[in-house]
Amino acid sequence: MHCKNCGKEFCKGLWRENPIFFQVLGMCPTLAVTTKALFGFSMGMATTFVLISSSLVISCIRKLVPPQVRIATFTVIIATFVTCADYFLKANFYTISKELGPYVPLIVVNCIILGRQEAFVSKHSVAESFVDAVGMGIGFSAVLVLLGSIRELLGFGTIFYYKILGEGFENWVIMALPAGAFITLGFLVGLFNWLNSKLTSAHKI
Amino acid sequence: MINLTLIFIAAAITHNFVLTYFLGICPFIGVSKRIEQAVGMGIATTFVMTLAACVTWIIYHFILIRFGLPFLQYASFIIVIASLVQIVEMFIRKVSPALYRALGIYLPLITTNCAILGLTLFMILRKYTFLEGVVFGVGAGCGFTLALVIMAGIREELECCDIPKPLQGAGITLIIAGMLALSFMGFGGLISR
Amino acid sequence: MRKTIQMISVLTIIGLVSGTVLVFTYKYANPLILDNQKNEIKEAIFKIFPKADTYEKDIIEDSVIFRAKEGGKLLGYAFLAEGNGYQGAIKMMAGIEPNLETLVGIEILESQETPGLGQEITEEEFKAQFKGLMTSPKITYVKNKPPERPNEIRAVTGATVSSSAVVSILNEKIKKLKNALQKLR
Repeated sequence: MHCKNCGKEFCKGLWRENPIFFQVLGMCPTLAVTTKALFGFSMGMATTFVLISSSLVISCIRKLVPPQVRIATFTVIIATFVTCADYFLKANFYTISKELGPYVPLIVVNCIILGRQEAFVSKHSVAESFVDAVGMGIGFSAVLVLLGSIRELLGFGTIFYYKILGEGFENWVIMALPAGAFITLGFLVGLFNWLNSKLTSAHKI
Repeated sequence: MINLTLIFIAAAITHNFVLTYFLGICPFIGVSKRIEQAVGMGIATTFVMTLAACVTWIIYHFILIRFGLPFLQYASFIIVIASLVQIVEMFIRKVSPALYRALGIYLPLITTNCAILGLTLFMILRKYTFLEGVVFGVGAGCGFTLALVIMAGIREELECCDIPKPLQGAGITLIIAGMLALSFMGFGGLISR
Repeated sequence: MRKTIQMISVLTIIGLVSGTVLVFTYKYANPLILDNQKNEIKEAIFKIFPKADTYEKDIIEDSVIFRAKEGGKLLGYAFLAEGNGYQGAIKMMAGIEPNLETLVGIEILESQETPGLGQEITEEEFKAQFKGLMTSPKITYVKNKPPERPNEIRAVTGATVSSSAVVSILNEKIKKLKNALQKLR
């Protein structure tokens, strides 16, 4: 299959155009489900699944869809895959799906997915769209796991339920609360902006 | 009546959609630079939320449950919300051009506002009656407006502050939101649902 | 005109295809989901009554009870209780001895309390307090000190609302159940 920019399209989702840090999209699941690293991981996987499958389908049919009903068509396709993902989680990972609760169906309105279809998939080939979706999905999941790990470590002293910090550690309750999510993500975004500006200025010299 | 008041207060203050459920964060960060903007967005959202609560409640109970089609819930809800936003937009443009000029630009943005879909999902999940659902919608809208306006007020003040460069924009907004969420927790003891 | 037909046909086809996909997903997933829910109830009952080997479901005055049995001997009743906590619904399974005076234990099935605070009600430390608790007079809770009376539990620190919710949900359900079962005798 023809795909000359595959490497580039893949990498940009991981760093330069990371959906959370540099585009600030898809905030609600990012903040809501990252009390524990495992939930962040499951959410990331569910979103990646929906992103990849809807990108594939939409890039196949994009030439057949009249532009006026574009958004409606995309939304129906996304909602279908989200429902599949939700039922799959409920059927096979019951406890996790109970923890994620209504945030799985809310993937439908995750701006990352519709945004990618509009900005990228509707203009590119199947192979490129696939690679772009995989890159964006991994970039999104990685941030979710990172945020989840930080909050779980400081809020419960564990990461993926493995005890990291000893008994003497007093859990920071704020990390498990909504406020902790906002503040941690705020500082992470700042950190990544700072790193990025360092990297680009080093690149210029 | 007490029940309805409790639902309203819970949705608007103690369990504020933005600050405890993280719904509607995108407009919260994007459209909170000016107070007038924030008020416009808030009113438009409240309006659509209330309508969406009514329509999805009817659809869920009289069509989806009646005919045993719960798996169409997400697809049908999002389509209803999207069409609703379009209809409201056309209606306002026809009836009141002045209102359209004020709210018009915010309306298309509302479709992808997770707060609306979130509202309908929570309403179904908590098995609210029709009236409770409507009150829940109004309350959630007011809460959303409140959070947006407070945030816009703070951001207007921040403009002349010396914020470290990497934190400008989304970073500092998120950190302030965290502090707001903490202060809203203070309302927690107000009611116990 | 051609445009309109194209628009309508694309939307119709998408709708049909997505509907079909969803029907098959539902057909595949629904039995598994029902199984999961049943298993959850089963596990909770056997956790509360570890000695039980079977249980029977029964409906008495619109509340569901489960008779937990060991070789035909009635060990007690397990029942579901549901109500509102601090953030959302709390759903739990509780076990009570046949005389309806002593609690055997509780298990929290669903809760959306604040993680790190209210969510502590799902921890063993909190749940274990209900073992052997007297149900009359009403169960009560105390704050920041060990319970003294046989019908008292200690509320989770910083989460009085969640703890009191558990207690009041239990009290209400026990009262209802006592009335219903006594009529039966």
